[in-house]
Amino acid sequence: MLVPTTLEPVRLEEPDVDEQLANDRPWVVIVWNDPINLMSYVTFVLQKLFGYSDEKATALMLDVHHKGKAVVANGNREEAEMHVFRLHEHSLWASMEHDE
Amino acid sequence: MSERDFVPPIEHIDNSDVDPLGAFDTGEGPQFRLNFEAEERELLVRLLGEMKDLLTSEPNEQTAPLLHRLFPPAFHDDEEKEAEYQRLMREELVASRVAAVDSVSLLLVEEGRTLSEGETMAFMQSVNAIRLVLGTMLDITDDDAAEEADMNDSPEYSLYGYLGWVLEWTVRALSGT
Repeated sequence: MLVPTTLEPVRLEEPDVDEQLANDRPWVVIVWNDPINLMSYVTFVLQKLFGYSDEKATALMLDVHHKGKAVVANGNREEAEMHVFRLHEHSLWASMEHDE
Repeated sequence: MSERDFVPPIEHIDNSDVDPLGAFDTGEGPQFRLNFEAEERELLVRLLGEMKDLLTSEPNEQTAPLLHRLFPPAFHDDEEKEAEYQRLMREELVASRVAAVDSVSLLLVEEGRTLSEGETMAFMQSVNAIRLVLGTMLDITDDDAAEEADMNDSPEYSLYGYLGWVLEWTVRALSGT
């Protein structure tokens, strides 16, 4: 159509990705298999720290045992660090990484 | 071990039979009882002392691998973040472990002492940490080694098995609340 519209489309500026937001990208907390910690102990710690049901904690523990690792929680960096710290307090082999 | 199975080293004290209405509830939550012989308590107190020494001494060639297992890396692929994590959290983790070891050592000295849930959690964490260090010293690095450890009855392996037995019962007692 040739008639100019009075309302020019306004070009929206893309907001800069806030660095803080980028740092808040979800992190995942991973527990790695180790041959020393007892299965019952790992299951119990997962229940206690994350409030998981016996069923869910057992499934995660079995994933750790059979697949070598499992994602047990996620959150922003601060939350993930706190989870890792509490898992380390209980001597579980835990680490965190970006969820990609 | 078969006979000992009937005397759990730790148990949840259920008062509901004698006090069905909870009239004597002290408001302290679940209580637990340790059923250790004097020599077992002495052994555990000695191991806890060794754990405290390990936690509070400068690492050397011999202790570094043990400490690595007690203070594992939080970031596997990011040295900068890992260094920051260790700088901020390591001291706190040492303090947390030492506090648990100290409180458990004290309560083990008293015969027949009942434990709160928090004390029992500290007991569980400390026994597990000792077992982890012993297992690392015994080079239990995979499931095959763990299975072989179960079959080995030399003193170190017997101690490892004993701690596993204590731990198993502690988890069971805590799970029952």
